[in-house]
Amino acid sequence: MEVFKIPIGPQHPALHEPISLRMTLEGEIIKDADLRLGYNHRGVEKLAESKTYIQNLYLTERICGICSFSHSTCYTQGVEKLMELQVPKRGLYVRTLVCELERVHSHLLWLGVAGQEAGFESFFMYTWRDREVVMDILEIISGNRVHYAMNTMGGVRRDIDEQQKKKILDSLDLLRKRTEYYLNIGASEPTFVARITGVGKLPRQQAIDLCAVGPTLRASGVAMDVRKDDPYAVYDEVPFDVCTADSCDVLGRVVVRVKELLQSYKIIEFLLKNLPEGPVKVKAPRKVKEGEVFSRYEAPRGENVHYIKSNGTDKPERLKVRAPTLANYPATIAMLKNGFIADIPLIFAAIDPCICCAERLVQLDDSRNGSSRLVRFSELRRLAIDRHKKTGKIKKDSAWPF
Amino acid sequence: MAILKPILYIVVYPGLIFLLIYATFCEWVDRKLYARMQNRYGPLHTGRAGILQPVADIIKLLAKEDIVPEKADKGWFSALPVFALAVVATAALYLPVWHYDATKISFNSFPGDLIVVAYLLSLPTLIFFLAGWHSTNFFSTIGGVRVLTMLFGYEVPLFLALLSPAILADSWRILDIAQFFQANPLLLPANTIGFFIAVIALQAKLERVPFDIPHAETEIVGGALTEYSGKKLAFFRLLTDIEMVVGSGLIAAVFLGGFPGGLWWGLFHFVWKTLLIIFLLAAMRAAMSRIRIDQMINFSWRYLAPLGVLQILIAIVLKGTLK
Amino acid sequence: MSIKVAAFLPEMLRHLFKKPATVRYPFEKTPPPKDFRGTPVFTASKCIGCMICVNDCPAEAIDIIRISETEKKFKMILHNDRCIHCAQCVDSCPTKTYHMNTEFELAAFSRHDLKIEYK
Repeated sequence: MEVFKIPIGPQHPALHEPISLRMTLEGEIIKDADLRLGYNHRGVEKLAESKTYIQNLYLTERICGICSFSHSTCYTQGVEKLMELQVPKRGLYVRTLVCELERVHSHLLWLGVAGQEAGFESFFMYTWRDREVVMDILEIISGNRVHYAMNTMGGVRRDIDEQQKKKILDSLDLLRKRTEYYLNIGASEPTFVARITGVGKLPRQQAIDLCAVGPTLRASGVAMDVRKDDPYAVYDEVPFDVCTADSCDVLGRVVVRVKELLQSYKIIEFLLKNLPEGPVKVKAPRKVKEGEVFSRYEAPRGENVHYIKSNGTDKPERLKVRAPTLANYPATIAMLKNGFIADIPLIFAAIDPCICCAERLVQLDDSRNGSSRLVRFSELRRLAIDRHKKTGKIKKDSAWPF
Repeated sequence: MAILKPILYIVVYPGLIFLLIYATFCEWVDRKLYARMQNRYGPLHTGRAGILQPVADIIKLLAKEDIVPEKADKGWFSALPVFALAVVATAALYLPVWHYDATKISFNSFPGDLIVVAYLLSLPTLIFFLAGWHSTNFFSTIGGVRVLTMLFGYEVPLFLALLSPAILADSWRILDIAQFFQANPLLLPANTIGFFIAVIALQAKLERVPFDIPHAETEIVGGALTEYSGKKLAFFRLLTDIEMVVGSGLIAAVFLGGFPGGLWWGLFHFVWKTLLIIFLLAAMRAAMSRIRIDQMINFSWRYLAPLGVLQILIAIVLKGTLK
Repeated sequence: MSIKVAAFLPEMLRHLFKKPATVRYPFEKTPPPKDFRGTPVFTASKCIGCMICVNDCPAEAIDIIRISETEKKFKMILHNDRCIHCAQCVDSCPTKTYHMNTEFELAAFSRHDLKIEYK
């Protein structure tokens, strides 16, 4: 049967952000996928070098909209370690509370998106309606629905009072009821289950070899979670379970995320009932002495890693961000092989892609002699113009890609 | 003067003007029901409660830029939407709503017109395939191929289901079938299996969820209609709406006892019976997700076709006992 | 979990009779909560001209200008088109000169209409 290439992206209704996947197809079966990034690059890491540590709080928050608190907290934890600050307990509890609320809203959003990719729009509308409850809680706590700006060096900026606590606990009951309804009904609706069972299989050993993270890894039966392996904030005091599933396919990932939702409700309830008294922040210095730190965080999508290097001034020397979606890309390509075209949006949505998180600077080394080189933008432009002149006008019957 | 009635029939009711108005009304009903089942409002501001929204959509599309791809065959590309609309509007003429005479054979009611309507309703599928083929876009080709593959799935159960009331009524003429069931309303429940098979097959013919595989938005962009824009896309949208009206009208005429009573009562019966079927279609659309093409073929040959055969057996046995 | 055909259907049919969950903004508005982060408001009498807010603003949206040669009086120009409403100025100021109001409907036809001057 004939082999041809089709482009999925950069513009495609299945993708929420631009990314280019060039698929090699044979009939309706995918033989290979070529992934190209860079359409959403904003130069965040370079910008972070010219802003102070306080200004970078808001910059790292805006790396992503859905997992914004994860980037903000990962950065703040790292800088607090460099400054050798001890954050008071109440501040850590509030920070963990907002972390878990963000996880709830992100998983509810993902459930809706998975439904929509499969054509199940009613599921999408219902989960996003329930997500509004969480967004209202976050607005009450932090003053904004996205980009909470709660973190500061040395703790959190706002406190929770009794009225807010009561409101959150009441909303938890409603959310818990709705999540259990989705688990019971959504996982047994025949057309939806038929779409997601057996799709995007990632065997256990392959998941570990390809360094998958987050629910993608946990749905293959591997119980790795930064909150348990390397506890930050107050996760060493809070009782919770790591959720795994054994089916290694998209249905497994749905089940893992819904189970994580139920665990998050338990954690939020524990945090609110055991909130200690005291201040929520300590004063932080403006200049940070020299050093480097490596900070890890369990974002809703997986393990988020920030590396910060300081040089004694009030601006960082280097900030490097490794988002979880970047770690899941090789696993995605392995999952896409030998799947159907009809499964492409589901497989891609199952890793919960947050492409703007993953568009960071990557330096490639020449595999032939190990050297690496930096190219200026003006030289890149010149190279592109030369290539265009060489290939000339595109001929009439030439097949894509040229 | 004798020529006036047929002209009114073809142009006004149930011809083009009535179809255009009623099809946009049915699209509004479908969208409102779908939205209310999802706990949201649906079209709200254009006209009273959004009733003019489908008209506004079509007018907007008519005003947009019309692009023909460079390598596409210009003649075929532009003519196909017009063919499709003409075919479906012609199929509407055979529904027995008005201006028929049970004793005479006329241009809009003759023995065998059930087959003609079923054939005319399956032509748009072929036209979608041709539209996808002539767009010279890979996504359109996949969409066109999927449309034909789906045709192999739902067409046979649909014909089997439509056959069973025809066997009971002993005629191939839609008018005779409708009048037979008007005379013997107790025989209507004998066709329930066929009714549900026909509604599911109509959903597949109209390419709506769970069977909107050929133009699955999140997979192949627009399917066969990816490259269509402007006036041509407006015609294709009108085609889908009118096909919904004609398809539900056919099912109502054959399974629900037709539209007795002349001009005004016939219109009343037509409206409430087609709206009932559209309610069923909207509920199916809201409650399920899209299935894959191989699962759809599996489903129709494993469940729908045997049920259709069962329905025919029931009809034959019933007819034998009634004699 | 067994397979149920049309599992969602009863819930959906029930929704046909419930009020939709949509808030018909701008005909119906839900008021923002108490600590909502709207636009910063500057009280000129409390400002001492330390310029910490100018340095800390992530979006360079604040300009503090001295309006008197002899006394310590300042005015502030807020570039509301650049402001990201993070309220860092509220936290950084040592004399509590800023507070946030609850205005969020800030649409305008040109950037220059969004510059606010507080004297």
